[in-house]
Amino acid sequence: MELTHHFEVPASKETTWQTFNDLEQVVPCFPGATLTEVDGDEFTGQVKVKIGPISLTYQGTGRFVERDEAAGKIVLEASGKDRRGNGNAGATVTAVLTETADGTAVDVNTDLDIGGKPAQFGRGMIQSISNKMLQRFLDCIRSKMTDEQPTGTP
Amino acid sequence: MIPSQFEFRAPTTVDEAVELLSNGMDVKVLAGGQSLLPVLKLRMADPEMVVSLTKVDALRGVRRDGDQLVIGAMTTHAEVATDPLIAAHAGLVGKVAGTIADPQVRNRGTIGGAVVHADPAGDMGGALLASDAQMTIAGPTGTRTVPAAEFFVDFFTTAVDEDELLTEIRLPVFDGWGADYQKFTRVAQQWSIVAAGAMVRTSGDQIAEARVVLTNMDSVPRRATAVEQALAGVPVTEEAVASACAAAAEGTNPTSDLNGDAEYRRHLATVLTRRAVLAAAGHRGT
Amino acid sequence: MTIMEERQAEIGRPRPRKEDARLITGRSRYTDNITLPGMLHLAMVRSPLARARITGIDTSAAASAPGVVQVLTGADLAAEQGSMPNAWPITPEQKTPPHPAVAVDTVNFAGEIVAVVIARSAAAARDASELIDVDYEDLPVVTDLATAARDEEVIHPDLGTNRSATWVFDSAQAGTGGDVEEALANSEVVIERTFTQQRLIPAFMEPRSTVVDPTGEQITMWSATQIPHVLRVMLALTLGVPESKLRVIAPDVGGGFGGKLQVTPEEVITLLAARRVGKPCKYTETRSETMMGAHHGRDQLQTLRLGANRDGTVTGLDVRLLADMGAYLGLITSGIPILGAFMYNGIYKFSAYRFECTNVFTNKVWTDAYRGAGRPEATFAIERMMDELATELGMDPIEVRRKNWIAHEEFPFTTVASLEYDSGNYEAATDKALELFDYEGLRAEQRRRRESGDPVQLGIGVSTFTEMCGLAPSRVLGALDYGAGGWEYAQVRVLPTGNVEVVTGVSPHGQGHVTAWSQIVADRLGVPFENVEVLYGDTQVAQRGMDTYGSRSLAVGGMAVVAATDKVVEKAKQVAAHMLEAATEDIEFSGGQFSVRGTDQGVSFNDVALATFAAHDLPDGFEPSLDSDATFDPENFSFPHGTHLAAMEVDTETGQVRVHKYVCVDDVGHVINPLIVDGQVHGGLAQGIAQALFEEAIYDESGTLLTGSFTEYLVPSAPDLPEFTVDRTYTPATTNVLGVKGVGEAGTIASTPAIVNGILDAIRHLGVEDVPMPCSPSRVWNAIQQARTSGQQAPEPEVAP
Ligand SMILES: Cc1cc2nc3c(=O)[nH]c(=O)nc-3n(C[C@H](O)[C@H](O)[C@H](O)COP(=O)(O)OP(=O)(O)OC[C@H]3O[C@@H](n4cnc5c(N)ncnc54)[C@H](O)[C@@H]3O)c2cc1C
Repeated sequence: MELTHHFEVPASKETTWQTFNDLEQVVPCFPGATLTEVDGDEFTGQVKVKIGPISLTYQGTGRFVERDEAAGKIVLEASGKDRRGNGNAGATVTAVLTETADGTAVDVNTDLDIGGKPAQFGRGMIQSISNKMLQRFLDCIRSKMTDEQPTGTP
Repeated sequence: MIPSQFEFRAPTTVDEAVELLSNGMDVKVLAGGQSLLPVLKLRMADPEMVVSLTKVDALRGVRRDGDQLVIGAMTTHAEVATDPLIAAHAGLVGKVAGTIADPQVRNRGTIGGAVVHADPAGDMGGALLASDAQMTIAGPTGTRTVPAAEFFVDFFTTAVDEDELLTEIRLPVFDGWGADYQKFTRVAQQWSIVAAGAMVRTSGDQIAEARVVLTNMDSVPRRATAVEQALAGVPVTEEAVASACAAAAEGTNPTSDLNGDAEYRRHLATVLTRRAVLAAAGHRGT
Repeated sequence: MTIMEERQAEIGRPRPRKEDARLITGRSRYTDNITLPGMLHLAMVRSPLARARITGIDTSAAASAPGVVQVLTGADLAAEQGSMPNAWPITPEQKTPPHPAVAVDTVNFAGEIVAVVIARSAAAARDASELIDVDYEDLPVVTDLATAARDEEVIHPDLGTNRSATWVFDSAQAGTGGDVEEALANSEVVIERTFTQQRLIPAFMEPRSTVVDPTGEQITMWSATQIPHVLRVMLALTLGVPESKLRVIAPDVGGGFGGKLQVTPEEVITLLAARRVGKPCKYTETRSETMMGAHHGRDQLQTLRLGANRDGTVTGLDVRLLADMGAYLGLITSGIPILGAFMYNGIYKFSAYRFECTNVFTNKVWTDAYRGAGRPEATFAIERMMDELATELGMDPIEVRRKNWIAHEEFPFTTVASLEYDSGNYEAATDKALELFDYEGLRAEQRRRRESGDPVQLGIGVSTFTEMCGLAPSRVLGALDYGAGGWEYAQVRVLPTGNVEVVTGVSPHGQGHVTAWSQIVADRLGVPFENVEVLYGDTQVAQRGMDTYGSRSLAVGGMAVVAATDKVVEKAKQVAAHMLEAATEDIEFSGGQFSVRGTDQGVSFNDVALATFAAHDLPDGFEPSLDSDATFDPENFSFPHGTHLAAMEVDTETGQVRVHKYVCVDDVGHVINPLIVDGQVHGGLAQGIAQALFEEAIYDESGTLLTGSFTEYLVPSAPDLPEFTVDRTYTPATTNVLGVKGVGEAGTIASTPAIVNGILDAIRHLGVEDVPMPCSPSRVWNAIQQARTSGQQAPEPEVAP
C-alpha cells in the first residue's frame, strides 16, 4: 500500500536535510520504535506496536538506499518480522525536500507492505492505522526540525 | 487455538483489581473476553497476567441513581438489551446492545469491554455519545469521570490508561425520546459497515430536538452536530428530514475496506441517518 | 411360520437420521477427540509470505524449548516426503510442479508449511513454534489470474511457464456437433460476456485433524477426510509405505464440501513425524490455518460467446476459461474445470460447442473440489447467458429456456458435450416451480414497483439446471486420464440373529448415509430399519471403496449395497428352499418372508439367518454364509435437474440485496428419505446463495489472505436466508434400479445464477448490465451509480426524464 504525506517546516532545507539524515533522531520518532544499533547507513531496531489488545514487536533492520542532497531526496528502507512469527513488515520511505519561501516542503511517499496476521485479521483497518502511525512519525520529525512539541493525537 | 501462558487473577473488588494493574507486569483486563480472547488465541498479544473482572460483583447491573442511570462496566450486552430501566430511559443504548453480534456474544460481551476496546466499528460508543454518558474510571490515584465525548481518543484507544479500569457508565435519563439504530451489514452477524443512531424528541409533528451519531465513519464514534441543528424544528416528513440529514457525512473520515470504500460509506451515512431519524420520530413510512 | 404385519416401506419415509442422536448429544468421535497413550502433538510453522526463498531456518531455540521432542524442516524430510499427489493430469503435457509437504527451498503461498514442531503437549508445540526463526528472501508475487497467465513472472521457474495445461473439447472434433465458429458466424445474435467465479473457502465445520499411531503392525491414521480409501493408496504411493501396512480411518467427520477431498501435507507430515519418533502424533489445525492452508474452490475467469437466432434458438456456445490452480496441483485440482466442461450446454440442445480451459499457477493456496466442482461454474455461465439472451431479444427468460431445452419425450438424449442424458422432465419441474412461485403475480409486483419508482426494486431470477452426478463410469474416467476408477463397493453381512451389517465403501461426513442405507436394506431384506447397522470409514472394515464426493454415494454406493443385498437374497433362497423342501426356483421372497410359490409355507429371514449360522443342515456344497459383497460400476452418470426461481429485492438507495422468495423444484429421481433430501437442498442453497452474495476469498497484492477469518469471510447464517420453498418432481434415473440421481450439489449449483439473475432483473432497467460476485451492497450500489452517470454522459434527450 502507498501512503503519501506532505508537510512544511519553517526551517532551511539544510537543517531539514540534516535532521532527516540523523538516524538517532528519525527512527525513534516512529511510534514504539527503539534503535538498537547504528552502523553507518544501516541500523537495527525494533518497533512495538500496541493497538488495543494487540501488541506486536517487529525486529528488523533498515538502511538508507539513496541520499541525494542536491535533489533533496532520501530513500530509507526498513523491514522486520514479528518476534513470534506473526508476520513481516517492510517499508520504503521516500522523502523529497524542496525549498519554499518560508522554509522547506517535505513530500513523503511510503510504500508499506504488511503481511501475516495483522493483515489477515485486521478487518482492512491496517491502512488507516498505518496512516495514523506514519502521521505521528512525521509529526515527530517535523517537531524535531522546528524544535516544537509534536502536536496531534498521541 | 492456544494462547501463550499467563498468570490468571480474579479479584472480587475494584480496589484489588486496580492494584493488580499496577504490579509492574504486562497485565490485561479480561471482561467478557469476546475481543480479548481471540487476540490471545491468535497470539497477537501475550500478557504476563490476565485480571478477570467476572467476580467483581459491584461492576455488574443497572440501577437508577436520582436522574441518572448507572450501568456497571461488567453488565453484558444481553442484560443491557433487555433491561427495563434502560428501555424506558435510554432507549438508544438498549436498542444498540440488541444489535451487537449474536446471542452468544451478547451473553458474554460487556458494555465496559466494548467501549474500552473502542473498535471504530463498535456499536455502543455512539449510543453513549448521544446519551451524554459520563464514564467513571478507577485508577491507582482514585476515581475520575470523563464525558463520553472525550472518552474515545482514536482507533482502539480511550481515556482509560493501562493501569485504570472503567467501572461504570452514568446516563442522564431521557424521557419521552424516541430512538432508532440503523446498522448496515452484509450478513446478520457482522460489525457495522456504517451505522446511524438517532434520539428524537418530537413536539406535535415537529422534531423538537435530535441527537444523531455515526458508527464507523471515523476512528471514533462521531456525533453529527450539523444534522442535529438542521433537524431542530423540522416537520417529521421524508423530504424535510432527508434534506436535514443530507450533510450527515460532513466532516467524517471513513475508511475504505473490503465492505466498501469511503465514498460509499458517506452515502450510506446520509441514507441511514435519515432512516434512523424518521424511525426515532415515529414516522411510519416506506 | 409367522404372519408378518403389512410392513410399511422404508424407502420414501422421512426418517429422522439415525446418526443424529449421538452427534447432537456429544457422543461423537471426531479425530481431535482421539487420545492415545504417549501421544505427541504437532504444530506447524507457516510462511507469512506468498513467495520467498527460504535462506535459513534457526530451530535451535525451539528444539530446546520445554516439552519439545523434535523439530523438522523441509530439509530434514526432503528425502522421504516425496511430492504431494496430483491424480488427474488432464493432458500428457501437463506441467506439475514438485509439491513438498514441508517447503524445502521456496514457499509459494502464504500459509505454506516450513517447519514442524513435535512436542509433548499441543501448547508446548504451539509455544515452541514461535521460537523458530525463518529467514526469507522475498520473491515477486503473482496473485492475479490473468496476470499470471501472461507469464511476466514465472512462479515455478523450472516449468518455464505459469500455464499448467490447456484442455479442449470441440463438438466438431468429437462428432457430437458442429463447428462453433461457423455456428456463431451464422447466428443472428452473438452475445459475449466475461464472468468471474470468485475464490471460495469450503468452510466445513470441523477443522482438519489427523492422528497417526505407528506402534502397531499397521500404521494407523485417523483423519478428518472424505476419502479414507483414496488417502491410503495415495499415502502408499507418495511415501513408499506398503499399502498393506497402512490403515486409514475416517471417524466422525464434520463436513467437507469437497474441502476434505484431498491428500494433505498435514496428513503426510503427521505420518512422517509419528514414524520418526515412533509414537502416536496428533495434529489439529486452527480455523485460521484452515482458511489459509486448506484448499479453496472455484476461482475461474470465464469468457463466453453464445450464438442465437432472433426467435431465441441457441445455435452455439464457445467457452474459454482461465482456471486458477493456486501454487500447486492438489489431488484433482487440475481436473475441476474439466468436470464443468460437459455441463456448459446445460439442459439445452444447441448443436455447436467448444470449450477450452487453461490452468494457471498463482501464489495462492491451491484450489480443488468445492461443492459442485466445475459444474456450478458451468451452470452459472449458461444460465446467466440465457438471461442475457432473453434481455437482448426482449423475451421472457422462461420462454427462452423453453425454446431450447430438451423436451421430455426426447430422452435419452445425447448432448453436444457428448453425454447421454437418460431421463428428465424440465417442463414438469418448471411448471410446478412457476406455480409455487406465483410467477405472474411477482411480475406484476415488479412492474408496480418499477412504475412507482419504489426505492426497493424487485427482480426475478431463473435458473434451470442439470448436472452430472454419480461419479463415475470408470471407462469415462479412464478416457479423461483420471488416475482411478469410479466404482463403489458394499458388503452385506447377516448375523446369526438376523441383524444385518452393511459395509459401505463411501465415507459419509454429514450426509446421513447410515439412515438411507438402512432404509434401502430394510426394504430389500424385510428386516426392521433398526436392525441394520452401517459400517464405513475404516479401511480395515470397509476394505474397498472410492469414498464420498460428487453426489455419488447413493447413485453408485447405494447401488453397490443393492447388488450385495440381492446376492444375500439369492443365497438365502437356497437355504430357505432346503428348509422348506422345495426347489430354489419356487421360492419367493417378500417382506422378510421366504415362501413356496402357491403355498402358505414359509420361513422368515431370521430363521434362514439362524439356520445358516448353525450350518447343521444346509444344502450340499453350500458355503455356510449369507454374507455377500458387490462392486458397482455405473454405466452412465445420473442427471438430476431442477428449476429454481428467486425473487430478489434490491434497495437502490444502499445496494442492499434481500432474497424475497425462493422456490426450487428439483428432480433427483426416486427419493429414499425426503427429510435428508430437503436438508441437502437447504444446505446447498445456503452455499450457492453465499457465493452469489457473501463469500469471497480475497488476497492482497502481496499474497496475504485478507479474508482469513469469519469476520471477513462472510458465511451466512439463518437470518441471512429466506424461508425456502422446496418441492420435487420425480423422473427416475433409468441407469440404476433405485432410480436415484444424487442431490448433494443440486442446491449449490442452481441457486447462484438464480440469485444473480434476480438482482440484475431488478436493476437492469436502471442501466446495470452486470454485478460481479459476490453481489455485495457496495458493488450493487456502485453498479447503479455507474449506470446512472454513464446514462447521463450519453447524449441526452432535451427533457430530462
Ligand atoms: C463474533 C463477534 C461479533 C461481534 N460483533 C460486534 C458488533 O457487531 N458490534 C460490536 O459493537 N461489537 C461486536 N463484537 C465485540 C463485542 O461487543 C465484545 O463483547 C466487546 O468488543 C468486548 O467486550 P468484552 O466484555 O468481551 O471485553 P474483553 O474482550 O474481555 O475486553 C476487551 C478489551 O477491553 C479491556 N477491558 C474490558 N473491560 C474493561 C474495563 N472494565 N476496564 C478497562 N479495560 C477493560 C480488555 O483489557 C480488552 O483490551 C463482536 C465480537 C465477536 C466475538
